[in-house]
Amino acid sequence: MMDVLTNLLHGFASAFTLQYLLLAALGVTLGTAIGVLPGIGPALTVALLLPLTYNFDPTGALIMFAGIYYGGMYGGSTTSILLNTPGESASVATTFEGFAMAKSGRGGAALATAAIGSFVAGTISTLLLTFVAPVIARLALLFQPADYFSLTILAFMSVTALVGKSFLRGMISLFIGLFIGLIGIDVLTGQPRLTFGIPELLDGIDVVVVAVGLFAVGEALYVASQMRNTKEEILPVKSRVGMTPEEWKRSWPAWLRGTLIGFPFGALPAGGAEIPTFLSYTTEKRLSKHKEEWGRGAIEGVAGPEAANNAAFSGVLVPLLTLGLPTSATAAILLVAFQIYNLQPGPLLFQKSPDLVWALIASLYIGNVMLLILNLPLIRIWIKILAIPRAMLYAGILVFGTLGVYSISNSFVDVMIMYAIGVVGFFMRRYGFPVGPTILGVILLPMAEAQFRRALSISQGDPSVFFTRPLSLGLLLAAAAAVILPYTPALIARLRRKPVEAGRVVFGEGQED
Amino acid sequence: MTSDNPKPALPARALFGLRLAALTVTILGGIILTQVSQIGTGAGFIVVGPRVFPKVVGVGILILGVLFFLRTTIVLDNDLVAEVASEEAATDWRTTILSLLSLVAYASLLHPLGYTVATALFFPVIGRILGSTRPKRDIVIGVALGLVIYLAFTRVLGVRLPAGLLAGIL
Repeated sequence: MMDVLTNLLHGFASAFTLQYLLLAALGVTLGTAIGVLPGIGPALTVALLLPLTYNFDPTGALIMFAGIYYGGMYGGSTTSILLNTPGESASVATTFEGFAMAKSGRGGAALATAAIGSFVAGTISTLLLTFVAPVIARLALLFQPADYFSLTILAFMSVTALVGKSFLRGMISLFIGLFIGLIGIDVLTGQPRLTFGIPELLDGIDVVVVAVGLFAVGEALYVASQMRNTKEEILPVKSRVGMTPEEWKRSWPAWLRGTLIGFPFGALPAGGAEIPTFLSYTTEKRLSKHKEEWGRGAIEGVAGPEAANNAAFSGVLVPLLTLGLPTSATAAILLVAFQIYNLQPGPLLFQKSPDLVWALIASLYIGNVMLLILNLPLIRIWIKILAIPRAMLYAGILVFGTLGVYSISNSFVDVMIMYAIGVVGFFMRRYGFPVGPTILGVILLPMAEAQFRRALSISQGDPSVFFTRPLSLGLLLAAAAAVILPYTPALIARLRRKPVEAGRVVFGEGQED
Repeated sequence: MTSDNPKPALPARALFGLRLAALTVTILGGIILTQVSQIGTGAGFIVVGPRVFPKVVGVGILILGVLFFLRTTIVLDNDLVAEVASEEAATDWRTTILSLLSLVAYASLLHPLGYTVATALFFPVIGRILGSTRPKRDIVIGVALGLVIYLAFTRVLGVRLPAGLLAGIL
């Protein structure tokens, strides 16, 4: 307890230096902007910035990246409320009541409850992160290779099973990611694998190439293909951005419940902020004393999910920092950022680089305050960003996407591979495949394979090691449970001989970008 | 995304597209499996060789592709077909293909023309394809983007970009 506080104080001392404050401010501002803009999200933005930050000091770069992720969570609510188009997948739940509030002239109150709720949830969940992460890091020291392999299986299964409309399509998306992850020279034996004789593929396909292809080019082509049937109107915010005492009173409990739902769900390997926002939405709807308002602009329906999505962000950092396990596409890109600086997130990170970890955590508290200022008094600036014409926006995304990949090594082949992956991403969107599992597959495959090999060489080739270690077995059972869970309501209905309504429960769309 | 009308507009074409997608996935699995035999096993004894994971992934993709094909034929996923059909009806292929072609042209011209000139040309072109009606403004933005990015990357960030035609001037 005491050492946590000392560490945190050290972290604040380092985060309050001018350079880190500026990088945090840059990160949250950029994050808010991309959160507001539809079609571009934190995963893509961090991926695009990776090649530019090779020469950065790692602490500063990671503070900026965390700010982008955080800012994206804040900014997403603005588009949901005013445009009825979620800027990020985690803001989908906010659109239902938020847009209804804006339509009835209460957009100002909706924006205020989203921003203040995000601040409250962000601060509480960062406190939770501060005290929970060191404990988990200590527990994680007990993890052996077999357990790590089972953990990646759990991440694979929960992301594909719980997010997205179809388990089968999620699995295909995941396996495409695994295939891309395999391309290149095998680290252990030096053998080239699946390179099809193309020398450029020997080094493997850079994660930046995959992320930009899937998220930027795939999305831009998809939007281009659907140009004819998109009409959007931005609702003006006439009212003051603020809340009445009555609205404050109704927002508080929703914020706190949203935080309590968001943090643990973010920490579970189930795709980040999407599930907890929907869960918070349904919880608030069920508990509400003003049921007649739902659908016409109930403030709890904005307060809860917005708190949940910011709390989930701190939750996502727990497994990422302590186990090196990303639970969402954005977290997966953050993991790559760590690896670029030769830092391996995991239990040893807290021992080897305490300065970095605590400066990063301290910067989250600071970033939260910055975001409150950016999103409450300055909200009208962000609303102006929404007026950028779609054609300009996507033209810009394509220019920056191409730049991000081309600047890695000035390679025409890299850009072509990226466009090819973009075409794959276009068809995945078109045929309802989630793209998140692909990214997770690409990034987690090396870890899964390395730990699998290590586990089996320790056990001298005996595969039972995955089932005899209690921790590993528990993780595999959890993975199985994640696959079965969505089918349980239908199974129970069938057992009770009632008519089956839905075959499979859908928790989220799985279109994180 | 979801269609409100119960009658899908073009179920035949949607079905064809989905089956083609399923076949592509299956064939990818097959290609991976044929490639596995070409992976060298490396010297020395290792418990898990370099072929194990590619084999698992190849078999996985093959099976998943077949399962997905079944979902588009015998055990038809009606929701998916309806969804794709409504998208199909709204699809503007011309815009999509022109966008892709202009991207390929942009990438091919980056080196010969240089970053600034290629970007200054690409931006108004893709803007026009995506429905912008103000070409003058787009040209100004394109030139500004090309110049600012080139100077910022090469002078400030130390990232190399091709100078091309403007090699002597910039």
